[in-house]
Amino acid sequence: MNDVTPLDLRIEALLADAQYDDHPLRGALNELYGEFRSQLHLIERVTHVSDLYQHMAREQNQSLLERYRRQLKKLEKIARISDRYQAVMRDLNEALKDASNHDALTGLANRRMLMDALRTESNRLLRQGRPMTLVLADIDHFKQINDAYGHERGDAVLVDIARAMASSVREYDLCGRWGGEEFLIVMPETGLPEALEAVERMRRAIAALHVVAGEHNVTASFGVAEHLPGDHLSATISRADTALYAAKKLGRNRCEVAPAGSQPASPAAD
Amino acid sequence: MNDLHIPASQSTPEIRTDSAAGTLLMRGDSYPENSFELFSPLLGWVQRYLAETVQPLVLNLHLLYLNTSSVKVMMEIFDNLEEAHAGGRTVSVNWHYDQENERVAELAEEFKEDCSFPFNIVQQ
Repeated sequence: MNDVTPLDLRIEALLADAQYDDHPLRGALNELYGEFRSQLHLIERVTHVSDLYQHMAREQNQSLLERYRRQLKKLEKIARISDRYQAVMRDLNEALKDASNHDALTGLANRRMLMDALRTESNRLLRQGRPMTLVLADIDHFKQINDAYGHERGDAVLVDIARAMASSVREYDLCGRWGGEEFLIVMPETGLPEALEAVERMRRAIAALHVVAGEHNVTASFGVAEHLPGDHLSATISRADTALYAAKKLGRNRCEVAPAGSQPASPAAD
Repeated sequence: MNDLHIPASQSTPEIRTDSAAGTLLMRGDSYPENSFELFSPLLGWVQRYLAETVQPLVLNLHLLYLNTSSVKVMMEIFDNLEEAHAGGRTVSVNWHYDQENERVAELAEEFKEDCSFPFNIVQQ
């Protein structure tokens, strides 16, 4: 296995030489040489085995590294796809939330969103000791429009009027569909004089639409109630409703203001 | 070979296999509480079918929402298909989506990325 060196040849020649057969050092040299050869052989064996191990370890390491890279790539892909699914869900959630808070026909806030806004605003304004004003609006003679021209025409009128009202209120007012042909406008931090200006703007905007149904130019009536800190929401809504009823009784296409709260509203239209 | 007929639930897709026809159908949303319980029979079926038969395999997928563990399982199934495809087997995926759900198609594209077998993203 190992190469034969000049020293090996020299030693072997000396040991083979008959003239040294009886030399006292020959026996010792022979033994020493034998020992040297076997040690050399051992070192070569150990080196060989060690090389094999190193080779194996290196190969194993490379395949682990390869597997690690593959797994990492896979994991990144799973995370990427999963993130996108979550983004889809989040958007869907937003859309559902939006749908649950808005009226499908007019796109205005629906009754649920109005109720949430009323609760939030009345609590906030109670802490600040400030008023707000609620306006209930109702399209005049709406039933006749539906009866005479069908629900499709009625729906179109609702959409037009909703748009006119929403564009007449101020940025921080909330105009929503309270139900049927009835709308509620929440005006935070707003007293009666300002509220009445906004209502007049809305009334005129609706009249200016010139939506004609039969012999009627479509109009709306309004009931306004100021909500003072500490008033009950349901009482304020009911006062606005009574004022609206009064506006209807007094000829429609007009606005009536409810008497101050903390006392039952007088049934003006009896 | 035993086929799978797992009906859909609110959080798991319908899973149907047909060994005779060589088809696997998955339909619906997939966000199982216990993904191992649901998916190990599925993975088992795919691996057995690929190992024990020589017929083609077609996956018909009508999947909508997938949670992370479902994404992982789908990738494992596609890895199995990829391996079979490399061995000369005829395998394919048809991923169906509704027109109003374009984002499902985008997600199917992501899955398709590393697959060299036929992977069709089909509008219904």
